[in-house]
Amino acid sequence: MTHEHIHPMIDKILKNIEKVMIGKRSVAELSVIALLAEGHVLLEDVPGVGKTMMVRALAKSVGANFRRIQFTPDLLPSDVTGVSIFNPKEMEFEFRPGPIMGNIILADEINRTSPKTQSALLEGMEESSVTIDGVTHRLGKPFFVMATQNPIEYEGTYPLPEAQLDRFLLKMKMGYPDMADEIEVLNRAQKVRPIEELEPVIDLEELIELQTQIKEVHVDDTIKRYIVELASRTRTHASVYLGVSPRGSIALMKAAQSYAFMYGRDYVLPDDIQYLAPSVFAHRIILKSEAKFEGIRAEEIVDRVLSRVPVPVRRLVK
Amino acid sequence: MISRKVQKDLMTFIMYIFGFLLLWEWLRPLEQLTDTSNIGVFLLFIFTSLLLSFTGTPVLIGGCIKWVFIVVALHILYIDEAFFQFKWVFVFITDFIESFQLVFARDWVNLSNLFRSFLFFVLLWLMTYLIQYWLINRMQILIFFFMTLVYITVLDTFTPYEAGLAIVRTVISGFAVLGMLTFFRLLDKEGIKKEATLSRKWMVPLVTMIVVSVGFGLAAPKAEPIWPDPVPYLTSYGKGSGEGTGVQKIGYGLDDSSLGGPFIGDNQVIFTVEAESRHYWKVETKDVYTGKGWITSGSREVRSPFGSADQVPITSFFNSPGIEMVKESSTVYSLTNNSHIVYPLGIQKIDAASFYSYELEVDTEKIHSLEGDSPASIKQYTLDYAVPRYSVTALNEASSEENIAVNNELINRYTQLPEDLPLRIQDLAKEITDGKDSWFEKARELERYFSRSGYIYDQKDVAIPADDEDYVDQFLFDTKQGYCDNFSTSMVVMARSIGIPARWVKGYTEGEYKGISESGSRMFEITNNNAHSWVEVYFPGIGWVPFEPTQGFSNSVQFNFDAASQSHDLPPEMNPEELEKDKPELKENNEKQPVANEDSLKKFFIPIENFFEAYWKMIALSILVLAVCAFVIYRIRGRWLPYYLTWRFKWTRKDENFQKAYLLLLRELDRYGLHRKDGQTLRDYADYIDRFFSSREMGRLTARYEQLIYRGSLQKGSWMETKELWENLIKKTIA
Repeated sequence: MTHEHIHPMIDKILKNIEKVMIGKRSVAELSVIALLAEGHVLLEDVPGVGKTMMVRALAKSVGANFRRIQFTPDLLPSDVTGVSIFNPKEMEFEFRPGPIMGNIILADEINRTSPKTQSALLEGMEESSVTIDGVTHRLGKPFFVMATQNPIEYEGTYPLPEAQLDRFLLKMKMGYPDMADEIEVLNRAQKVRPIEELEPVIDLEELIELQTQIKEVHVDDTIKRYIVELASRTRTHASVYLGVSPRGSIALMKAAQSYAFMYGRDYVLPDDIQYLAPSVFAHRIILKSEAKFEGIRAEEIVDRVLSRVPVPVRRLVK
Repeated sequence: MISRKVQKDLMTFIMYIFGFLLLWEWLRPLEQLTDTSNIGVFLLFIFTSLLLSFTGTPVLIGGCIKWVFIVVALHILYIDEAFFQFKWVFVFITDFIESFQLVFARDWVNLSNLFRSFLFFVLLWLMTYLIQYWLINRMQILIFFFMTLVYITVLDTFTPYEAGLAIVRTVISGFAVLGMLTFFRLLDKEGIKKEATLSRKWMVPLVTMIVVSVGFGLAAPKAEPIWPDPVPYLTSYGKGSGEGTGVQKIGYGLDDSSLGGPFIGDNQVIFTVEAESRHYWKVETKDVYTGKGWITSGSREVRSPFGSADQVPITSFFNSPGIEMVKESSTVYSLTNNSHIVYPLGIQKIDAASFYSYELEVDTEKIHSLEGDSPASIKQYTLDYAVPRYSVTALNEASSEENIAVNNELINRYTQLPEDLPLRIQDLAKEITDGKDSWFEKARELERYFSRSGYIYDQKDVAIPADDEDYVDQFLFDTKQGYCDNFSTSMVVMARSIGIPARWVKGYTEGEYKGISESGSRMFEITNNNAHSWVEVYFPGIGWVPFEPTQGFSNSVQFNFDAASQSHDLPPEMNPEELEKDKPELKENNEKQPVANEDSLKKFFIPIENFFEAYWKMIALSILVLAVCAFVIYRIRGRWLPYYLTWRFKWTRKDENFQKAYLLLLRELDRYGLHRKDGQTLRDYADYIDRFFSSREMGRLTARYEQLIYRGSLQKGSWMETKELWENLIKKTIA
């Protein structure tokens, strides 16, 4: 993968993020991919590993309007979307936009709030708009949500409904930094908070331009067929209760386009698919309870499917 | 043992049904072949067992149900008392105790039926368990299926059981079960869950496959067996030891009424002799030719008894000046249970233990040996006989007008022919004997006709005459190949057609020379392969003179060529040892298997068959050499294939060839031992290859190829640019 040149603009973003996020290159890459593919990311990890830092760095790098919603059990949907308030002076309702109206949203600990509030955010993610008091408000463009959630076994959480998980393009884990990286983190934290020093490297216009360019990346029919075969193979797997939906297939294709673009290619390779499939597919697969008891993880299923489905090596003959 | 759960879906149920049908095939023949009755009860038991297995009934409950079933069934079958009086308990217990004692005493024969049935139930229980194990746990049934087929075919071959339908049923059930099990195994291996749509997708082709193959099998014309039936050969061993249970008889067949068809050799020794000279051994003669074979005119029951050391009431030839006679004697050691005597021409006396007596079948001259009133086989007897030496002059003179007139009755009997005998046989006989006057000369001409005219001795490719065909006619004009029956019968019929009395003789040739015995006489061993038939011609005033028309045989009959010798060009006497070697395999007995009798087809195949027969060694050798060469070339393909491929793509400039070339490279690399897994991408693989060869060529080539197939377009001339890379890589795969 390394002997390809990263798209210069994206390279700038990544380098910028790396100034604050040490040793998290792949997470940064995936986040950028999701941003460029107009998808959203679910970050699942324990607190304190730099989830918030990651999003803020990304937001700063692209000069986006960053909002953060800290989800708590008592948060109301209107706290997310905004609310109309009666202005006695003007004798009319005035709309006060909520934090969802930003460009890059960090939905922190999304599984700690009630399903009602969760769905307010998720609806926005899906529709790119919210409806309050009968008025539809367009959300910002670009609109990118990075939701974090603590691993579900923690107390006092409302796990996201399985159907809602489908809305996230990617799900990833941060993981702890390794020893050397963590020491470097400490070094930097000694001085200033590095995040404050970050400067934008591209502006929103350029970002939107990149997003439109990505749609031009060629996905050959052989690749499409490969994606569909992978998805359908997850559906028929014996340990799987619910496999990857067509929406999942679309997600994989978009992510792959974005990834290919990032590496300066105008066509998608099976390698791109294989690299992204675990992140795109795993959270969309619902395992049977027997399989869960046996300790099988969705990632393993994706890996097994990847090793089973033959990579296309010849052109489709129509 | 971990046992899988039985899935209770339709497909598994169907599979169980077919498993049941397969097991049923094992029971079907029992009713016919053994004294087992009430098969229905056992079937019901199997059915219940499989049903319990399918429903997943716990072992304990299922076991109880089966025990109750067994007890009730045994009760119904064997005990009349009412069930709930429980008297049967004592009956069972006493019976079982007795039976167990018998078992320990290894007295299997006396086991009670009750106990046998009980054991049979236990066996079936085990079988159903095995079926369940094969179907559900192992998911393999091939062995059982195969064993079922073997069982049925063996029964069909060796017993009266007709397995025609059973085979079809077994194949259907077996294919169905195999097909479904394959499906289950695939699901299991690939971790795919069972779905109705998937099952349907599998079942439709499976059913189609079975229907088509069975339909095709039923509709297709079935060739007659190419090989002769091996069963008589196999059972003959049993017969030799006196325990033969074979359905088909072997040995000296009595029925010669429909001759023809191939036969196979059989080395079973019939008897050995100590003799002074070599000569044929007669068993019987036949006088009526039917157009298909030989029967006797009179009744076989007309017998004339004589005692040991009496003169044997057969007159083979007369005491005439035309015959010189040499007295000889031989001792015969019989190795079979045949109750007839083998004897040479000129038999005079049979000498064996005095409690044996003999009966001569007057019509056939077959001698039966008896002990008291019942047929007995004599293991050792000594024969006294006169070996004749015929004077050719006397033979030539024997067929004078007045001689014929005197013997009119006998001549009439031995010139019998069927009314519908084709005329061309007689025409041929006349043509052969044209210009010869005496019977003897004519007979000699007829005898020699076959070897002169290129008739072939063959045991395998021998036809059976069709319904409207004459056995002799077919041989003489059509097939021109056959064995002793064909030659001897033809000669008899031809001789009769021109008025010469002749008869057909069955017996054995002199056999294989085994050396000198202690007493100084020569020992011969006669096997079933030595069974033979030849011709005797009657000469008034002289008697019966044997002739040997069969190709490659010689009856060592001695003629005295006194004055007449100049006019006859007899072949030089062959050395007996040489003769032995030259002799083709001899006829074994009179059991012959029919062969397909379609003339047109035959005419078409005979030249081909002859060709193969003549050159089969060459053909086999060249096929073998070719196969070895092909194999070697294939094995060393690593040495030459890359050169060929580079040469082949040397002149191609078009980019379309890129894909072909690249895929070939993949294949060559795979052959070289660098395997690409299914899920491995080309780029990944290229890295692997480059690391292996410490190069960057595969990576560069693959990058181009990726553009071709994943981008869908390629810059013009890409192939020309990358060809060098490709060639270098291909050359690396040279072993």
